[in-house]
Amino acid sequence: MNLLEWYIPLGLLVLLLGVLVRAHAYKVCPCFFSYVTFASVAGAVRFLVRNQPAYYATYWITEAGYDILGILVMYEVLRTLPGTSTRAWWARLIFPSVVLVGIAMSLARTDAVPTRIVGLPHYMVVGEIAVRFVQVFVFAILVTLVPLLGLRWRQYSFGIATGFGLYATVMLLTTIKFSDFGTTFKLLWGWTSLVAYSVAVLIWIWFFSVPQKVTTSELSAPAPGVLKEYKDALRRMR
Amino acid sequence: MFSIILTWLIVAWGALSCIYMLRCAWRRFPKRDVDDVIPFLYPVDISLAESLLDPAAEFEFRWKLQPPQFREAQRKRMRLYLELTRRMSHNATVLVAYADAEKNSQDPRRVSLASTLQEKAVEVRLYALLTRFKLRLRLLLRSDILISKPVLPHLRKACDIDGLQTYSALKVAAAAAFVQLPPEELASLTRNL
Repeated sequence: MNLLEWYIPLGLLVLLLGVLVRAHAYKVCPCFFSYVTFASVAGAVRFLVRNQPAYYATYWITEAGYDILGILVMYEVLRTLPGTSTRAWWARLIFPSVVLVGIAMSLARTDAVPTRIVGLPHYMVVGEIAVRFVQVFVFAILVTLVPLLGLRWRQYSFGIATGFGLYATVMLLTTIKFSDFGTTFKLLWGWTSLVAYSVAVLIWIWFFSVPQKVTTSELSAPAPGVLKEYKDALRRMR
Repeated sequence: MFSIILTWLIVAWGALSCIYMLRCAWRRFPKRDVDDVIPFLYPVDISLAESLLDPAAEFEFRWKLQPPQFREAQRKRMRLYLELTRRMSHNATVLVAYADAEKNSQDPRRVSLASTLQEKAVEVRLYALLTRFKLRLRLLLRSDILISKPVLPHLRKACDIDGLQTYSALKVAAAAAFVQLPPEELASLTRNL
């Protein structure tokens, strides 16, 4: 179990990193690329110090990195979605509202089911649960928009949100359900976490294995012939 | 207790979203090319929509007609606007699907035009969705009996999106995206939009 726990996610993350580099995804989703790079490095560092006293500090420091980058990735996902760049004032409030609701839900959850951890790790756990809520919210909002606005699901932002959404949903479910299982909780949590994260990474690999065109704003001036056609089209519309 | 119920609801929403994505992946997404656009569009009479949303026209109706006749006329006008927004919404869906396929093009200009078209189409779709919801609610609850204020002019904007202005912008974006079509096909596109 121990070796599988280390090798499977790390191997998949390195594979994903290769796919992202090949697809030039760092141009389209720089935050997600940073997340995957960080996750690969953090996974390797954790593996190297797994039997040393530094593991505890390394774990919590890297966990904070995962949370911050996880939030940034969610911001990136919402920003790249068509329609969210609308001039409407409320469009800018979507992401802050989602984050605030996530934090409120996490605090309410911790209040209802207090954890045994105290001090800084306690706040880390609260933050982590808030990030999970934000990830599920963003994913569920995006999926709800597919049939409502007719958006295409096969794009990078949906792939990223699907991976995070699946993992966060499973993690929230295990957090609220597996605590009923008593001493077997830790083992089940470990397995579920491993499988859910591996599936999430496989989803990302699948989505990024098909290249997506970069929407460039650096366009050359249109040819005179194209301009004339455009003018004619506009004249016909009047 | 409340937070646990809410957490369960969020988890259920996430799980349903996962199932929906699986279904999407199973069915695949049908690509819509240039041939699958013009015959699928429903004509939208913008001048009719303008007249329905005109506060002066509504005031004139109120002034000339007896209250029961005015309510009947308002219901007819609301149904008419509901149909227009349905067509707007349908056309926007068709154009979003087309723009999605176009975004895979090698030509950066076409990609840029498709992105603009998709932005406008999504805005129109959002406006139409919200407006249709409001109209259906008003028709269902017969709110015209209770509210004496003008109804239709208030529907010009939804969520800060001016419906008719955005639809006109969508038409311009569509004309730009389909500029390479033969003139007669371009004319039928503008006619059908």
